[in-house]
Amino acid sequence: MKRTFFLFSLVFSGVFCLAGCQGSKGPQSNTFKIGVITSLTGSNAAFGQAHKNGYTIALEEINARGGLLGKKVELDYYDDQSRPDQAVQGVSKLVDQDRVPIVLGAYSSESTRAIVPVVTQKQVPLIMPTAVADNVMESNSPWVFRICAGSSSFALATLDFLKNNGDPKKLAIVYENTNFGQANNKSMTEAAKAAGLELVDSEAYQASSPDYKSLLQRVKGKNPEVIYFASYLLDASTLMRQSEQLGLNPKYYTSAGTGFAAAEFPTQDKGAGKYAEYTFSVSQWLPSAKWKGSTEFDEKYFKLAGSHPAYHGMEAYAVMVVAAAAIDKAKSEQAQAIRDAIKDVNLPETPFGPVKFDARGQNQHPVLVTQVQGGQYKVVWPSDAAESKPIIPTPEWSKRP
Amino acid sequence: MGNWLYALLQAIVNGLLTGALYALIGMGMALIFGVMRIVNFAHGAFLMMGMYTTYVLFQATGISPYYQFPVAGVLLFFVGYATYMGLLRRIRGQVDFMVILLTMGLALILVDGAQLVFGADYHQINIPLLSKNIRIGSQISINAPWLVSFALAMALAGALYWVVTRTMFGRAARAIAQNPYAAPLMGINVHQVQAIAFGIGSAAAGVAGALLLPVFYLFPEVGNQFKLKSFVMVVLGGMGSIQGAAIAGLVLGIVENLTSLYWGNEWALAVDFVLFILVLSLKPSGIFGSQRA
Repeated sequence: MKRTFFLFSLVFSGVFCLAGCQGSKGPQSNTFKIGVITSLTGSNAAFGQAHKNGYTIALEEINARGGLLGKKVELDYYDDQSRPDQAVQGVSKLVDQDRVPIVLGAYSSESTRAIVPVVTQKQVPLIMPTAVADNVMESNSPWVFRICAGSSSFALATLDFLKNNGDPKKLAIVYENTNFGQANNKSMTEAAKAAGLELVDSEAYQASSPDYKSLLQRVKGKNPEVIYFASYLLDASTLMRQSEQLGLNPKYYTSAGTGFAAAEFPTQDKGAGKYAEYTFSVSQWLPSAKWKGSTEFDEKYFKLAGSHPAYHGMEAYAVMVVAAAAIDKAKSEQAQAIRDAIKDVNLPETPFGPVKFDARGQNQHPVLVTQVQGGQYKVVWPSDAAESKPIIPTPEWSKRP
Repeated sequence: MGNWLYALLQAIVNGLLTGALYALIGMGMALIFGVMRIVNFAHGAFLMMGMYTTYVLFQATGISPYYQFPVAGVLLFFVGYATYMGLLRRIRGQVDFMVILLTMGLALILVDGAQLVFGADYHQINIPLLSKNIRIGSQISINAPWLVSFALAMALAGALYWVVTRTMFGRAARAIAQNPYAAPLMGINVHQVQAIAFGIGSAAAGVAGALLLPVFYLFPEVGNQFKLKSFVMVVLGGMGSIQGAAIAGLVLGIVENLTSLYWGNEWALAVDFVLFILVLSLKPSGIFGSQRA
């Protein structure tokens, strides 16, 4: 008994010492830690892995150049398990315990919205790679920055494409019922109204359900010309498979990117396979993008992951590039100084295009429209960036080979 | 016939297809609860194990899950049996809370273990059957793998019912359910029977997982939503009545689909739990259960 107690106290004092030492050692150590929150497990793990690949490539490049402020850079990952409450815990762990001066992440809009008030309160800058819901920027916090385009840009790009390609009038929105889907529903509803489209149906659903047939049945009954999906990957695949089963035939399948733009989506073993064919999606970047460095990133990514990247991996890479530029310029490991430097970041040439934040912390990023053609994403809009012509109307399921 | 009628019929058909799988999962849970009064929080994890077993076997051999699902059943039977004999037996007679802690802990270990071995990534399989749809008339369509899963699940549910009502084992199990103190006096080996019951209940979850694989996708936490639903089924069906749980599964499938059709998919889960709370507060013996001793 006495010995057990002794052992326990030994272990505990060891643990505390470790924690304590790490905390106090922080500023003097010879590595520079950058905090990253993403979804390495849970239902969004595919996107979290894309993030990790993007971060890894950027990290290797930065360290190959000699790191930051003369120190080797290290990424301090926190896995939010695709859950917002875990993302919040992640900020506490990274900032209070590991003392990182900057946080990148999270993956989903849901998790990102949850951590905005936390980083604001802890006064640590946050750069968001992929949160599309516009409400992540609503707080006007001076500590948050977003590199990707938001849900209203997605809606406007889609409507612009539709207006110039057949001008359909009857729209249905199908969206997953967390922040990402809700925000896209709201943006599209407003934008469609302004553009004079008739919204015949708007359906929320629970992601990771095995069965959307009744939901799609309902949509079919409303007879829309266009369906606009806001979905993650697992649900996007299921929705398309079951659309075929029910013979749901709108003229356009469009979407707010994400699941419908994931590298896995058009593949047979991880996505919807042939059922992904002809679907339209907004996109923020593709390996074929004209920006300098896009091809190199694609090659490095392929070497690392064995697959070509979608825009989620690139956005993670890009926030890392921005963070590095800001830290170099700030010449400081203080959160405040880094934040001020991010505000002044002006990178006219990154593989993700020009990056510069406006007064609210938003980067103005152009949105493309793609279509899956022959299992590949092809840019079809705007016309000056188009790689191929859109195929419309979408062939009916019964007439496909 | 009006379009609304087709839509209604299609929703009911869809409900039955999913409901049959729910029924199998719920029956496993109900059997365990009925015989031992154990709420098995690892039920979802067992389903996940069934899915992964089938997935690994499919990847290795290419044999369709519809032929090799018994493997998942047999494996999960032994997992269930061993769980009872090795773990649960030691804490029988202690407060129920211990059982909850134990099965929850087991679920965590299994889910995290799956994550360690297979990663958190999700997987799906493609069998040729997936692209086949059976059409009834011009409007109603049934996806072939869903139909096969439905048929097998119903057959297995029937077999399970037969085992519990007609065999010596079933009689012993029901005797224990009726009175766990008198049963051993009648010469029943309580631990043995309970271990087998736990094994069969787990096997039902495993087989349901195997049948779910072709029409769904798998990731380590896939079992959670089905575990929650099986609680609802056990309560609706009348606290441990396995035929009650089976009917409750089918009803749940249909109710979810009708809710989805008329109100929207986001309400489907809410309706499940509204039913759950209503039944618990108004008719605790369950919709289909008679008052138990």
